[in-house]
Amino acid sequence: MFSVLAAILVPFAVSFGLFHSVVQGPNFLPILSTFIIAPIISALLVMIAPEKYARWISLVVASFVLGLGFKLFLNYQASVSGFQFVEDVPWLKNLGISYILGVDGMSTLMVLLVTCVYFAGALISWNISLRRKEYFVLFSLLVGGVAGAYESLDLFFFFLFYEFAVLPMYLLVGIWGTGRKEYAAMKLTVYLLAGSAFMLVGFLAIYFTSNVHTFDIRALSDLSATGLSVSFQNTWFPLLFVGFGVISALFPFHTWSPDGYGSAPTAASMLHAGVLKSLGGYSIIRVALPLMPDGAKHWLPYLAILALINMLYAAIVALKQTDFKYVIAYSSVSHCGTILFGICTLEAAGLNGAVIQTFSHGIVAAMTFALVGTVYGKAHTRELAKLGGLTSVMPILGGLFVAASMANVGLPGLSGFVGEFLVFLGSYQSGFHGGFTIFQALFPIGVLAIVLTAIYYLRLAQMVFFGPVKDPHWKEEVKDGSFVEILPIAFLLIVSLAVGLYPKPFVDMSNLSIAPLIDHIGGFK
Amino acid sequence: MIQVQAFLPELWLVGTAFLVLIADLVQKSTATKTLVKAIAVIGVIGALLSLFCVAGCGSCPVNACCPMDGVPQAFGGFLKTDGLAVFFKFIILMATLLTLLISFRYFKANPTHYLTEFIAVLLFSAAGASALTSAQEIITLYVALETLTISSYLLASFMKKDKESNEAGMKYLLLGAFSSALLLFGFSYLYGFTGTTVISEIGKSLASQASSPLLTLAVIMIIAGLAFKISLAPFHMWTPDVYEGAPTPITAYLSVASKTAGFAAFVRLFWVGLSVPALQPTWIGLFAVLAVLSIILGNLEALPQRNIKRLMAYSSIAQAGYISTGFLVGGQLGLTAVLFYIFVYLFANMGVFLAIAIVQAKTGSDQIEDYAGMWKRSPLIGIVLLVGLLSLAGVPPFAGFAGKWYLFGSAISKGYIWIALIGMVFSVVSLYYYLQVARQALFPEPKDSSPIEMNWVERLVLIICVLITITLGFWPTPVMQLAQSAASSLFN
Repeated sequence: MFSVLAAILVPFAVSFGLFHSVVQGPNFLPILSTFIIAPIISALLVMIAPEKYARWISLVVASFVLGLGFKLFLNYQASVSGFQFVEDVPWLKNLGISYILGVDGMSTLMVLLVTCVYFAGALISWNISLRRKEYFVLFSLLVGGVAGAYESLDLFFFFLFYEFAVLPMYLLVGIWGTGRKEYAAMKLTVYLLAGSAFMLVGFLAIYFTSNVHTFDIRALSDLSATGLSVSFQNTWFPLLFVGFGVISALFPFHTWSPDGYGSAPTAASMLHAGVLKSLGGYSIIRVALPLMPDGAKHWLPYLAILALINMLYAAIVALKQTDFKYVIAYSSVSHCGTILFGICTLEAAGLNGAVIQTFSHGIVAAMTFALVGTVYGKAHTRELAKLGGLTSVMPILGGLFVAASMANVGLPGLSGFVGEFLVFLGSYQSGFHGGFTIFQALFPIGVLAIVLTAIYYLRLAQMVFFGPVKDPHWKEEVKDGSFVEILPIAFLLIVSLAVGLYPKPFVDMSNLSIAPLIDHIGGFK
Repeated sequence: MIQVQAFLPELWLVGTAFLVLIADLVQKSTATKTLVKAIAVIGVIGALLSLFCVAGCGSCPVNACCPMDGVPQAFGGFLKTDGLAVFFKFIILMATLLTLLISFRYFKANPTHYLTEFIAVLLFSAAGASALTSAQEIITLYVALETLTISSYLLASFMKKDKESNEAGMKYLLLGAFSSALLLFGFSYLYGFTGTTVISEIGKSLASQASSPLLTLAVIMIIAGLAFKISLAPFHMWTPDVYEGAPTPITAYLSVASKTAGFAAFVRLFWVGLSVPALQPTWIGLFAVLAVLSIILGNLEALPQRNIKRLMAYSSIAQAGYISTGFLVGGQLGLTAVLFYIFVYLFANMGVFLAIAIVQAKTGSDQIEDYAGMWKRSPLIGIVLLVGLLSLAGVPPFAGFAGKWYLFGSAISKGYIWIALIGMVFSVVSLYYYLQVARQALFPEPKDSSPIEMNWVERLVLIICVLITITLGFWPTPVMQLAQSAASSLFN
């Protein structure tokens, strides 16, 4: 226990303390590249080192990166805003591709999210025994890819890093998964890459149609320079939206998600639900909206209906599930619907809500999946009919699960509330501009989804954790969570509490990106 | 004046082939033929190194006979080795070298008395392919092409006691002869219209002529004849049977070297000779249809395959479709994309075929289900299959992704958005069957967990193939620049 604590605290302190002087300034350390390179180095080290050190290396690097994530969050200068810590290296000059990393308020939040889930995932994988070396290699590579995707300001590298993350996911699900793992792995990969095929063609179309001939998102966001016509935007916006939407499990392209999460090993579903899935909503805000604002204004009211179906439909399906993990998986789909709905409102409040909900969903979904995985590891079943009364044998995990449920439902004081509140505020406000009332008509239906969420989570908590103990053997054999199992879940709960109790720094941070974006687009006025 | 640099690699290859035949007389027939093997490998490496001399022509102090413009030519300009030819020659020679390596492993498991003859014919065929890339005249081009294909018929049917190999050779011969006849027929019309056989002169003469139905017919016949060689749908029917039945090294050779030579012929004939306003829209339209058909048919028919060589055959049809996309876009951008993609395709495909040969030598099977648990039997082969196949599918961060980005980018730049869309969607379809192989290799526990042996050269080559495929995914710039300057040599 103490050695684990040391492996966490020492690297955390090193990265948090040591880098203080070199983070800012003209010759700053390439801190953003570190988020990509550190996990890759970790993967290489695991490859070389003996198997028994694999988890230690991963944990040390994850803690190091976590420290760096907090550092980045605290050092982002709100007074300056815009993209900071920018690294710009030309890569293929004649094609206008450069390796550009940079973060603004929104992506700073996302990087923080990645580091939190990375850390929790490294801990939750502590007891993996099957092909452990390969597991930690792939796990680290996955994180490197996701971090790169959130930081990239170049469409080529954005795409490269995104798919870089999908590939380890395929192997993680296929090898370490449970149930119909090969089917799930294939389905997930094919869906995600089919979505990305649309993205890729969209990116290339933007590149060759615009007048600036670059893949640099900053340059492409200047509509007067790119000269993308309204008809071009109207054609390509829905394609890009759907391409990104597939990543975020947009209805009707969501079916990879429950199967994928149902089969994935715990840490993989944490990372996927927590950070990879959020990439869809993030990239709509980062790429689709600023590059094609007219297309957005034309299509978003219709696409909002898809997002709404997401919320409601997934919630209803979650009610009927008989597998513990599938309930959580559908709940994640439903929450992603909220994110997309927030984006569709094109209101400052709605978009901020979407960003906060992305962050919150990342933390909360990771926490819930960690809990499911831990419970499954102890009770050896995920069938709801066979589970029951687990609080009496694992009180701490039971308590944590109730807290996680509340965070999912959106209880005030936890992070879920802030995001959902802002999203619905945005959709309500959206109606006041120029008699456009579709969102006013839609949002009560969305609120219904929250009620359903409460129903299925309470049902879940009641079926799994309360009532009589279903299996008498559990009393002797099953113990409560150990230190390494409790620690990551507790850590994520604390983050969720922090956002819920004092959301101001997070909302302010997100607004640093959203406010200029709303100015740029102009909303439905 | 004859400048020897113009056909230096071919001299090396033909010389080596004769040396190999002589060396066989010296060695006892029961020996392992190390001498023959060594001569062959050294000869091909020598041919590869001679490319430096050709490419550096003009700046090289030793070669006083070099022309001022740095492009060596021979036989009254019928052979002209420009940058484009050098690039194609590199691919072909590299593929030949790797084919040799694969064949050593293959014939260790399937002994034959005729290894020497095999190597000699392979070298002759490579010389034909190599000469084809610098041919500036249609008769030279045809002769070089026939040297390549007639040797290939022999090679495909080389396992003469094997029914499937015989079937492969027979099918290849019958259909190949037919396609060659078509090609020659097309050429004869072309000569009739222009009165010359030099490709650039044909271009000049056609520029002043209006299009006529007969000329269109000639173009269609030339496309059909050559499309057969690179197995574009609907001229692809022979591919799966021949690829499955032919010895594995020859399957690898056909899928890379033969295809590259076919594309070289296409590029010269169409972008130099037939690139005239009267004809261009016709053949570009035809190519668009062929490319899309190949992408769709190749990928769809690959889905149900259970034999890895058959699967690679359909995959190579689809790959030819992707490459054709860049070819029909043409210009600096399109041809650079074609060259870069072929370069990437070379290393991914050859790596996979080497792995197939090594596995086949051990298990005696080409069935995908027998690849189960390969990660345990040989981790390196597992990685090669994963990286190589995913690069073919165009998944980042592997080199195939950068290649497809460039190919489809060039297509979109000329407004062929629909081709790019179809290409991308079917790349995802291709992912399914590529991953089926990777899945077998990486997921299950092996039924028979005896390790798979390979020697250090094979290990080294596999590692190099993987490293190149990964590195070019992250850093394609150097090869991209080479491809660019090669492509630009066509337009000077």
